[in-house]
Amino acid sequence: MEDRRLLSWRNPWFKASVLGLLAVIAASFLAGFVWLPSATSDFSASGAWASICRAAGVPTQWGGNGTIDMTGVASTGVVLDRSMARAGTDDAIGRGATLALGCTTCHGAQGMSTSDAPNLAGQYPEVVIKQLRDFRSGRRDSPIMQGLAKGLSDANISDLAAYYGYLPKSRRAPTTYADALPAVVRVGAPLRNIAPCVACHGGIDQKLGAPWLEGMPRPYLIAQLKNFQAGDRHNDSHGQMRNMARAMTGDEIEAVATFYARKASR
Amino acid sequence: MLRASRLVLAHFWVAFVAFLGAAVLGEWQMIVRSPLSTWINNPEHYYRSVTAHGTVMGYVMPTLLAMGFGYAITELALKRPLIGLRWAWAGFGLVLAGTAMAATTVALGQASVLYTFYPPMIASPFYYLGVVLVVVGSWVWVALMAINLRAWKRDNPGAAVPLAMYGNCAGAFLWAWTSLGAAIEILVLILPASLGWTDTINAGLARVLFSWTLHAIVYFWLMPCYIAFYAIVPRAIGSRLYSDTMGRIAFALFLVFSMPIGIHHLFADPEVGAGFKFVHAAMTAMVSLPTLLTVFTIVASVEIVARLRGGKGAFGWVRALPWRNPMMLALTFSFLMLGLGGAGGLINMSYQMNETVHNTQWVTGHFHLIFGGAIVIMYFMVAYDLWPTLTGCAPLPAAQVKTQLWLWFVGMLVLTLPWHLVGLMGMPRRMAYYDYSDPAIASQGSLVVASAAGGLLVVVSAALFVWILARASLPARRRAGAVEPYTFSRAVHEGARVPVALNGFGLWIGMMIALTVVNYGVPIIQLASLKQASVPVIPIGAR
Repeated sequence: MEDRRLLSWRNPWFKASVLGLLAVIAASFLAGFVWLPSATSDFSASGAWASICRAAGVPTQWGGNGTIDMTGVASTGVVLDRSMARAGTDDAIGRGATLALGCTTCHGAQGMSTSDAPNLAGQYPEVVIKQLRDFRSGRRDSPIMQGLAKGLSDANISDLAAYYGYLPKSRRAPTTYADALPAVVRVGAPLRNIAPCVACHGGIDQKLGAPWLEGMPRPYLIAQLKNFQAGDRHNDSHGQMRNMARAMTGDEIEAVATFYARKASR
Repeated sequence: MLRASRLVLAHFWVAFVAFLGAAVLGEWQMIVRSPLSTWINNPEHYYRSVTAHGTVMGYVMPTLLAMGFGYAITELALKRPLIGLRWAWAGFGLVLAGTAMAATTVALGQASVLYTFYPPMIASPFYYLGVVLVVVGSWVWVALMAINLRAWKRDNPGAAVPLAMYGNCAGAFLWAWTSLGAAIEILVLILPASLGWTDTINAGLARVLFSWTLHAIVYFWLMPCYIAFYAIVPRAIGSRLYSDTMGRIAFALFLVFSMPIGIHHLFADPEVGAGFKFVHAAMTAMVSLPTLLTVFTIVASVEIVARLRGGKGAFGWVRALPWRNPMMLALTFSFLMLGLGGAGGLINMSYQMNETVHNTQWVTGHFHLIFGGAIVIMYFMVAYDLWPTLTGCAPLPAAQVKTQLWLWFVGMLVLTLPWHLVGLMGMPRRMAYYDYSDPAIASQGSLVVASAAGGLLVVVSAALFVWILARASLPARRRAGAVEPYTFSRAVHEGARVPVALNGFGLWIGMMIALTVVNYGVPIIQLASLKQASVPVIPIGAR
């Protein structure tokens, strides 16, 4: 082996490698941060330094007076969080039961509606929390519910969610996977970008914030799907349900609603 | 026979049995999403299978092969017993325990997050802990390679490190540095969320950290294949290595350039700046250098034997190559697939062209061709070549070996070329079923069927591979006399002076770390300090 010091400028391998690497770095950074951004107007509009920052992916508000345009209507103000899904304490359930006395007219004494309002018995707590907060902030439209939700604090809402989550579900058996399920429920429609219902609402997976649908009143399900389809209901974050419903046919909406509204006969 | 032969065999057997199982899963996936099968009723089963297939093929099999091969090289190239045999068994035990843990969690449906993790999806902690155990087990190997190299250098001052050991250590050091990204991602970001300590995760930072590992891991997979090119192929076909120095330069270049380029996997990620995407694209182009050097050197090496066998003319020598030799066949197949896959890879790494193929089946076709094709076919040859030394068996039956290689090559091309094509037509990857009854994609159905047929050939070939090795391991197949000592390739100019830079790793590791800091420093610090970058986790299989 050659007997020469490795880390020395006299070693031609060291010199060539380090200088070569520096040249490659300099050339690629010059191209990526100066040359290419200069060719694009939205990069170069605010001068050279801003364009370099932009190419580096620095957030706009880091650069002095840069402000983010936050105008426009967000679909929902609620960020779903795993902590919302936890079962409530006995105290919370008790307080929720008292508060729920005001809900019985439509949603039933035990959370089972007799007036085509949604059944709330056994509903996942984070679903109740999200919808009540959206009613309260006006992101979900309903003259009755908006008025009722206005008077609720965050703690009230959590208590109500804890109470309804504690009540037994109308149908205990979730959808299980079977060939007999309607196509949209089972496999969706890949080319129309419709995901299967069971991918989020239970069956394959139960995603955070996706409500328990089994046993819901059929007219309620149809109304909600049509509202999503028309954009009249828009409190689904990232348009998740609007994107599903928009591509659905009337027959598919009927089929899905009939399927989920079926009674616990099977 | 090697002192560590039981250790090496244990690594190889677990790797190959897991490989065969994962290959069968892969073929099942091909069939269920082709028109040959009705739509899979529960896509969750599909994603479970994809997770298992990817975890075995991406982490378990290549890691075990690199470890086993590394231990064999240490004894065979340094011609002395492995230091730390017990530690090596402990490392193997960790990999085995981790594999079992991850596999069980995946099978229970608690970890269908695919092997690339995809936060904010969060699986059961046992899956990640299993992957961590596999990685920690492999770190034991890295440490042992460094210790053995150091001890040998101390006892042989001034001597040139054998090329096979040089490549082996380059692979080990590359892996140590590259596995750090995913390890940090799991330990700092994913596990706290998976254990329920946090309800949000910085998904953008997690993706950037995973890209740290994601691309360089393919060069870790590739190292045993390149070691075979340089240190086994020329000897196996009766030739000599054209240039030992070129081999060292290739390994050193891999060490420097394969690491800080992973952001080319994030071209569509809005959280990473365009400037860094360009820099990573440019540096990805640099990694083609060691491959081009290798192709040149190995072609020159095989030309030597062709000319010795009477080959003449500018290209006429090709006919005089030892075509009956399985190693020659495997090398040719590997280079053909490397060429096709490499050309496709240039499209993937180009910032603009990537847009046309991003997240389509093209990408899946690409990495199956280059890893499953070009690299794994050389893994087969590594095993075939070492088997007589490891088990004391007679040389393996050449006809069966060649059949297996042909099946793999043809199968891989039939599998991956249509796969690329449907990707160009726009078929997205990672979907469990496609509606071929729709006229918009009906024409893709036949191509997907062709892929599934290619996959079947690949599975048959994989089974034949395991069968050949198992049969040769039977006690009845033991050779009566002593096994000839194992040798690596000799260079044309043997004993040539090796520059000090190419006899160690100090310079290259320094450059690797420096370049990583330059290319990853800002994106990581930036995303880590962004408060609003955290998003709620999506637990998988929780309800």
